[in-house]
Amino acid sequence: MTKWIRWSGLIGFIVIATLIVCFWLFAAGPLTKLAIESFGSDALGAKVDVDEVRYGLNPLTVTVKGVQLTDKDKPMENIFSFDQAVANIEPFPLLLGKAIIPDVRLEGMATGTQRQSSGALAKVEKKNDVSADSQDQTSEKSKSETAEPKSQTLPSADEILEREALLTESRGEALKQAYENHTQNIETAMNNLPTDQSIKEYEARLNTIMKGKFKSLDDFKQRKKALDDLKAQWKKDKQAIADAKSAVKTGKSDLKQKLTELKAAPKEDIANIKSKYTLDGAGASNVTALLFGDDAGGYATTALEYYEKVRPLLVDEEAKAAKQELKEKRLEGRFIHFPTDRPQPDFWVKTMNFTLALPKMGEQTVSSGDVAVKVVDITHQQEVINRPTVVRATGQNLKDIASLTIDGVLDHRQTPGKDQFTFNVDDWQLKKVKLGLAGLRLDRGLVDIQGQALVQSGQLKLNSEAVFNQSQFSSKDRTVLAKEMVAALKTIPTFTVNAKAKGELTKPSVNISSDLDAQLSAAFDERLAQKQRELENKLKAKLNDKLMSYAGDYESQLKQLNLSEGSLSSKSKALEKLGKSELSSYEDQLKAEAKAKQDAEKAKAKAEADRKQKELEKKAKEKLKSLF
Amino acid sequence: MLAMLAKLLKVLNSDASPAQIALGFAFALFVGLTPFFSLHNLIILFLVCIIRVNLSGFFLASAVFALIAFITDPFSIQLGEFLLQHAELQAFWTELYQSDMWRAFKFNHTLLLGSVVLACILFIPVWILFTVLIKLYRTKLMAWFEKLKIVKFLKASKFYQAYERLGA
Repeated sequence: MTKWIRWSGLIGFIVIATLIVCFWLFAAGPLTKLAIESFGSDALGAKVDVDEVRYGLNPLTVTVKGVQLTDKDKPMENIFSFDQAVANIEPFPLLLGKAIIPDVRLEGMATGTQRQSSGALAKVEKKNDVSADSQDQTSEKSKSETAEPKSQTLPSADEILEREALLTESRGEALKQAYENHTQNIETAMNNLPTDQSIKEYEARLNTIMKGKFKSLDDFKQRKKALDDLKAQWKKDKQAIADAKSAVKTGKSDLKQKLTELKAAPKEDIANIKSKYTLDGAGASNVTALLFGDDAGGYATTALEYYEKVRPLLVDEEAKAAKQELKEKRLEGRFIHFPTDRPQPDFWVKTMNFTLALPKMGEQTVSSGDVAVKVVDITHQQEVINRPTVVRATGQNLKDIASLTIDGVLDHRQTPGKDQFTFNVDDWQLKKVKLGLAGLRLDRGLVDIQGQALVQSGQLKLNSEAVFNQSQFSSKDRTVLAKEMVAALKTIPTFTVNAKAKGELTKPSVNISSDLDAQLSAAFDERLAQKQRELENKLKAKLNDKLMSYAGDYESQLKQLNLSEGSLSSKSKALEKLGKSELSSYEDQLKAEAKAKQDAEKAKAKAEADRKQKELEKKAKEKLKSLF
Repeated sequence: MLAMLAKLLKVLNSDASPAQIALGFAFALFVGLTPFFSLHNLIILFLVCIIRVNLSGFFLASAVFALIAFITDPFSIQLGEFLLQHAELQAFWTELYQSDMWRAFKFNHTLLLGSVVLACILFIPVWILFTVLIKLYRTKLMAWFEKLKIVKFLKASKFYQAYERLGA
């Protein structure tokens, strides 16, 4: 038997295996660091930085230090970062290239920290080079404005005007274009008109033709021909005048109509914008901000912002997993999974725990306690473990809130994925919360909030109810609205506000209702209306500016066209009169001459007849004398 | 190709036992026909190291079987699919699947299971067949074979001489 054993081979194998293990121990850390940075950056679309990765053998653990995940939209900020994460790893699945991590604990976790260098990926940086350069030159204020997603704040008049396709603009452009076209047409027609000089020349030529008597038939014919030519020229000029009149009339009518439309456009724009931005404009955060100030709206926007950053990771991976499955089936065989209570996706964090500081309402730098977050089953292959990712956030040591819980279930086992959240806030002591309008302030109040949100196929469906107890309001303003609001609110210590949101995640349609009495509802409506009126006035002013930029000159141009039309009419009449009067005197002359000639011939014939009659009478008298 | 042929001649004409050479060929079935980066191949390498098999024959045959795998892969996948989907074997696979160690062997991969089963089926026949063939070659064909011009040419080639010098 020993003949078949090669002891040198056994020793060689052990030596090689030991070398490989040693190499792995030294190389695994840097390799894992590279893998996290590479795959993390690809998945996030922005740089993921890791300071160090270290492995421990007994038990198999990995310690990751100094992790920074860049905010894709703000390359100089991190979405979140942590000082250290310690994770246990299951060894056997690691042989299959599967990272199964039973437990991860994050320390020093923070959100929105500043980065030392830009975290934009090389490709993205290249694409945005020009804009980045120009951004550098702008002020800090404009930087923060551009970095902030538009959906996070109530849109300003400028933003709305920039965002919306305005009738004022389109009609202004149409008027401008029409004016240019008509001006060209009218100028062409005007160039063909007879001038005052040419009309005087017609008069002179006519006088020449009509002056003196016809010396002969040829003279008559010659003058007649000249007169015919002159008449043809008149006819042509008359047509030119008619054309010019028509061009002016058409232009005037068209421009008048377009100007009227343009004048009506701002009103229509306002109506359109109002219907769009009344209460269903830029999302839940806007409405929250409108009612309870930017501080409260901030929580909603932050939650939406983070959700939107996490969601693509799950959605993208669904597609990647499907593609990978298909590829394996075609070319390299495939894995067949069996029922098990020990599933193994490629990456799976069974439990992750971390703590976040909850900023105090209205004071982002002051903490009002901690939120302990536990995330269970983090994986991009939920279909393998057949469990959704579950998030539970619980308030700890909260100063102003009795209890805070947020439960989330991100279920992407089937397409489309379904993400559900429920949140519950008990006895939230609100103090000195600015309400954003009329100097109104919630001095104190206890709020219980309950809500559910569902996101499926990018569509949000949210229902929430906030019960306000022991509320006390005040206002520094002395306006009627402020006084009425405070007066009305004093009588109602308890009320409920229901908020519903439905539609696209980025711009859902929001509906808010309350059980406040009619007086408060009226005050509320008035408050909202005032907010809208402020916006409306700004919009009107800006739209009027736009209107003036388009319509200012055209009004006077239109008047000028009216004058031109009048001048053309008088010119046409003058020419017609001139032609007609000269023509009739020429005919009269011809007739008079013919009559004179006829009279002369008649007189001559009569004289001859008289002479013959006298001669006959004389002859007859002489014959009678001879008879007697 | 020429080097491989020279290697083969060297192995066949060496003093190594035909059974050891054939066993090297048989072990090469696993490395050649199955996906290389698998846990079972670590065991095969371990066995090849400690069992006195002909290493040259093993590596040479591994390369040859890796080429043959291009033809056998579709069949291996079908075989793996058949076995993993077979109703009567479901309980067995499910039981194995509960163990992290077995899953580390990727037994639930169609190509891997099919090719390992194929290699297992062919292991004994290949060992016996090549033992017999090598014995036959050495007793009946080796003398005649070495007289062939092509063999002489090969032996005179630079590859073979270099190979000889390295003592492979």
